[in-house]
Amino acid sequence: MAKLSLMFEEKTVKEVPVGTRAVSIGRSPDNDLPVDNLAVSNYHARVYFEGGRLVVEDLDSLNGTFVNDLRVERATLHDGDSIWIGKHHIKVDASGDAPVPWDTGRKASAPRINETMVLDTKARREMLQQAAATGERVQFAAGRLKVPTLVIVGGRTDQKEYMLTNRLTVIGKSAMATVKVKGWFKPPMAAQINQRDDGYYIGPGDKMPSVNGAPITGPVRLNDGDVIEVSGVRMNFIFRE
Amino acid sequence: MRIVSGGVTDLGRVRTNNEDCFRIVESLNLFVLADGMGGEAHGEVASALAVETIVKSCMDPLDSGATLVGNSEPTWGEKTKRLTSAVHLANKNIYDAAEANPEQHGMGATLTAAWIEGSKLSIAHVGDSRAYLLRSGNLQQLTSDHSLVAEQVRRGILTAAEAEESEMQSVLLRALGALPDIEVDTEEHILFARDILMLCCDGLTRMVTEPEIAGTLQAEIDPTKAAEKLIALANERGGVDNITVIVVRVGAESRGWFSWLFGGARKRAARNGAAGGS
Repeated sequence: MAKLSLMFEEKTVKEVPVGTRAVSIGRSPDNDLPVDNLAVSNYHARVYFEGGRLVVEDLDSLNGTFVNDLRVERATLHDGDSIWIGKHHIKVDASGDAPVPWDTGRKASAPRINETMVLDTKARREMLQQAAATGERVQFAAGRLKVPTLVIVGGRTDQKEYMLTNRLTVIGKSAMATVKVKGWFKPPMAAQINQRDDGYYIGPGDKMPSVNGAPITGPVRLNDGDVIEVSGVRMNFIFRE
Repeated sequence: MRIVSGGVTDLGRVRTNNEDCFRIVESLNLFVLADGMGGEAHGEVASALAVETIVKSCMDPLDSGATLVGNSEPTWGEKTKRLTSAVHLANKNIYDAAEANPEQHGMGATLTAAWIEGSKLSIAHVGDSRAYLLRSGNLQQLTSDHSLVAEQVRRGILTAAEAEESEMQSVLLRALGALPDIEVDTEEHILFARDILMLCCDGLTRMVTEPEIAGTLQAEIDPTKAAEKLIALANERGGVDNITVIVVRVGAESRGWFSWLFGGARKRAARNGAAGGS
């Protein structure tokens, strides 16, 4: 079972296990992990399991929650991570849950680079961090907190706002479209948005959408704030924090 | 939906054994592709075990009391849940086999599977094989590679172009058989008539560009021939790895008199040349 240890200047103040229920962290004494410091909000953050992953979520605290020096609103925790809240930090011990590393107890052999290999979670984290350190100062923890969202600003649809969670989002009249367009003579699949590694691309369907007033000729990468128009529907593509 | 499919696997020009494995179950509209790894440590055992486990698990009649393995979302359809469960099971089988047989230690496999029921497509995926959907002339990727370089692109550390040049392309973050438990990427999509689905391993995508893939899929109507052409192209470029391609074409469903009336009208129009270049 995962364990959180509240530390103050290298001394362990309190330890709590993370089970099926979320562990609440904050200045108020009724928290599972109370942190007695004025820089800490009453209900500051919580830690819980979601889909097999340990997650920390900041509860709109005044001074923020940091995981390994990066301010986060929500982040997946790994064994050995530190959550910083004010002057305290919380050590994450997920070793009990951590899957057995790929090479444990097996004969060590230097992997040839042209041969496919798998990294275990710890090695992966180190490699990504190294890569980040050598490159520009990239705040990759912040990137994954932004949720791409379509906000409808004109036309008739079944919702006013859509979070793009699928790799392919269909905009059209089809009953199975994500963004359901209402009205007569609307195409079943007017346009589609594909999530790729480097961003979100809008492409034509039965119609040619326009982005910021200009009709597209092929897939176009969407930027924060772009205005999309297709089949009488106007929407704003934004990254929600 | 009327489904036509074909798949081909090829050794490539460099490797001496084929560690890829694929299976098409036409009666179920189930398509499974796996790329084994582990070289001497039996990559082909892992990929075959993955494909076999998934096909068997999906073919199992539901009333056999088969229990679902792993997490599933309540909103998912029956097929999606079963497919995801089958991938979890395949992971377990490969992991257990590798634990039990010392000579198989280190084997693993990528996996991309698609299951079509009606107009619903379920995709389950682990590793760096890919699923693409060609629709309205757009080639859209339905899976994210679980590779180090792809993760670096997602985090803004590398550009897509830099990733293609990277020497770290073979480093995977997730594969079947590596760990006792695994996270499976699962998604549901809607299919439209004239969609073309393609599953392939990295032996294709490292050699052939996406515009070339889109062009070939559009130009060659026969799914098996399209797969063969793509493999030939990968081999022309060097064929450094095994290459496997499955092509699935989705046709319009016949809907009785309605379709007869309108389909017939359209056909007549086409015969008269009114349909233009189509």
